[in-house]
Amino acid sequence: MLVEFELIERARGGDDSAFSQVVQAYRKRILGTIARLIGRPEDVEDVGQEVFLRLYYSLEQLRTAEVFEPWLYRLTVNAAYDYLRRQKRRQESRMSDLSEQQVMMADAAAGGKQNAEEQRRGKVREQVEALLEHVSEEDRILLTLKEVEGLSLKELEKIYRVNENALKVRLFRARQRVLKAYGATEGKDTA
Amino acid sequence: MERRMDRGMDEGGSGTNLDALFAEYHNAFSDIDGGANFMPNLWQKIEARRMESVSVFRRLAQVCVLATAALTVAMAILIPRIQTEPVYTATYVDVLDAAHSVDSAQLMDSGDLQ
Repeated sequence: MLVEFELIERARGGDDSAFSQVVQAYRKRILGTIARLIGRPEDVEDVGQEVFLRLYYSLEQLRTAEVFEPWLYRLTVNAAYDYLRRQKRRQESRMSDLSEQQVMMADAAAGGKQNAEEQRRGKVREQVEALLEHVSEEDRILLTLKEVEGLSLKELEKIYRVNENALKVRLFRARQRVLKAYGATEGKDTA
Repeated sequence: MERRMDRGMDEGGSGTNLDALFAEYHNAFSDIDGGANFMPNLWQKIEARRMESVSVFRRLAQVCVLATAALTVAMAILIPRIQTEPVYTATYVDVLDAAHSVDSAQLMDSGDLQ
């Protein structure tokens, strides 16, 4: 826990300054997680604010301060999922308006402004983004929480309220799909 | 982590490489802290949501008041029209008088003066 239970209790009781302190404590962790879940740094702040907004209005439903972290992760997962679904719809309509050449030109222009490190990071993001497109939004989030965020199955069990075996099966299938896609890209790169 | 490496070995080189790629992906998003306006913007959104819910309740209350007033007016107009036939045709005094006259007649019968 990054904060004392007492602070969460105070925030739950309507103390706005306690709520601000809770947000400050979890902000970096949650924004980092959101960034990895949605894969778009430019939208992280908006989604992060949505998570803390939902937290503010649902905090009184929290049974005990002990379950605060899984609760916050659940809100994060839900907000990321909503974002990804919206994004998918938006992307479909936007991509249909642009020709392939226009998309490539926009990518090249954006890439030119970045430095070498940022370009390398951008490449990694793109690669992982492309791999995660082989699974559904739900599986993408689950897989990212496990493989990238490094959450344990016990933690995931608390977040999803689903038993460990069901999660294991789902994770295994999702990883196999991503691995297959990764193998195919590796084959392309070596060829 | 050890388990992850074992699994990576089971899956062959691809599994290990994928784990390394995921680790790089994790680092590609480090140090995201939101801008300086993160907290002010958050409080703005919280306030906006609060005002929105207050105005929804206010609108709901207005609708309830209007509906109640309309129902009262409707009842005031409709009830007299529905009740064209009065329930009581005689007043309480008339009924009492009629009952009393019957009693008197009985008294007269029982007390025969002849």
